[in-house]
Amino acid sequence: MTLALLRLDVRAGLRERKIWFAAAIYVYTLLAVPLLLLNPPPHVAAAMSAFFGDQDPFTFFMYVWTDLAMNKVVAMLGVVLAAGVVLRERDTRVLPIFASKPISMPRYFAVRATSACLVTAVLYITTQLIAVPVFMARVPGFRPGEFLAAGLLHVWAAMFATALAATLTVIVGRRGPGLLLSLIVIMTLVGMAFLGFYHPAWRSIALLNPFALGVEAVGHLGALGPGVLLPPMLGLAAICAATILVGAFAVRRLEV
Amino acid sequence: MIHAIEIDGLTKQFGAVRAVDDLRLQVAPGEVFGFMGHNGAGKTTTLRMLLGLTAPTRGTARVLGRDVSRETLAVRRACGYLPADYALPPDMTPRQFLVYVAAMFGVTGEPAAARADELLRQFGLQAAADRKLRGFSTGMTQKVGLAQALINEPRVLLLDEPTSGLDPLGRHELLELLRGLARDRGVTVVFSSHILSDVESLCRRVAVMHHARLIACDEVAALKAAHGVASMDDLYLALVRREAA
Repeated sequence: MTLALLRLDVRAGLRERKIWFAAAIYVYTLLAVPLLLLNPPPHVAAAMSAFFGDQDPFTFFMYVWTDLAMNKVVAMLGVVLAAGVVLRERDTRVLPIFASKPISMPRYFAVRATSACLVTAVLYITTQLIAVPVFMARVPGFRPGEFLAAGLLHVWAAMFATALAATLTVIVGRRGPGLLLSLIVIMTLVGMAFLGFYHPAWRSIALLNPFALGVEAVGHLGALGPGVLLPPMLGLAAICAATILVGAFAVRRLEV
Repeated sequence: MIHAIEIDGLTKQFGAVRAVDDLRLQVAPGEVFGFMGHNGAGKTTTLRMLLGLTAPTRGTARVLGRDVSRETLAVRRACGYLPADYALPPDMTPRQFLVYVAAMFGVTGEPAAARADELLRQFGLQAAADRKLRGFSTGMTQKVGLAQALINEPRVLLLDEPTSGLDPLGRHELLELLRGLARDRGVTVVFSSHILSDVESLCRRVAVMHHARLIACDEVAALKAAHGVASMDDLYLALVRREAA
């Protein structure tokens, strides 16, 4: 029952109005990054030279794409797509109907939050696929295989942002404050995603941040393989599941 | 005999407010049972407790022999419910919504689509079946709401103000439908309404709630005879005045 419901919920999620907003943000990012790369702000260029050297424009591009663009987008869209899960239905009076069906509230939350994560993944992966021909034409030294492989890891960070927004909001119990808290927490984590790159001595501690796991591929460009990608992927999958479980536990006390 | 609904000492306290106070009643299988009472009398809270949507402070309730607190999901599996105050997901169509609700009962694929089609036809919603629910009129929304309550072919139907928002024809059709469900399929129907003529036309027995307490529960004819009144309006007023005295 749960899988069928999840499938229907993902399809319903992809038909919601806010998907158009999310898609517009992704398209904007897709179009804006090549323009940014043509003439990067001097402080960004200087920082990149210091961290990654000047020898590989693709590494520079991947940093800009992963951190300056997608990390911020997934943080914001995670909140947009998931911060209302269950609470929005309660506030708009849709929940009494669903809550009266033979599905417990924790399980319903788990379905809705997982569905929001999968919607995030669909949008993210679609963007990556559309980006390949765009960037091949505009980014010098663009390597599509590595770009897609890095995206396959980073999409789990996007799903984590979505799961975390759903869970934090349901713990807070009110949409507005929950949305704000989600944004602050996720943006803080995103802001520290590259800490291990900047300060190698802190790398092991920095990897406790799920977003740091999500950008691991950027530090291994030229050597990406299952050995590099799978451990952080599995770690992020486990963290996503644990985050949703926490939300499912918290939602038990929700009054419909 | 197992009662369709058996309520014993059911009480619900919200802080200092007692929403339902020591309610005791039984509803027989296949009966159409009416709940009457003013706003805030406790009708909605009682229906919500029957589905485990809110936990009783005291007392027990059983639906088809199952305890609503301990076997909540089993009770919900056998019930259909239409809340008084609800909305439908605006970005779904009626067809998608009904298939989604069917999936919550474990009915998927072709059987779910066929059941959704059957209900869309029954409620005259075929023409609007693939339009988004956003912007549906109150009457159309109520029809979709009723359709979802019937998606699992429930043995017990709990309807909170089901005729509100329906035009006279819609009301008539709904009452006929409920009558038919009870008569032909043995469905137990419990419904609350402010429209006393609806209650009278449909129910043999009614419960009257007033300020959280049950003040009368009997056959309509017996209550009328006992209070020497001819109409439901007069009966309701007589019961409430007796209570206030």
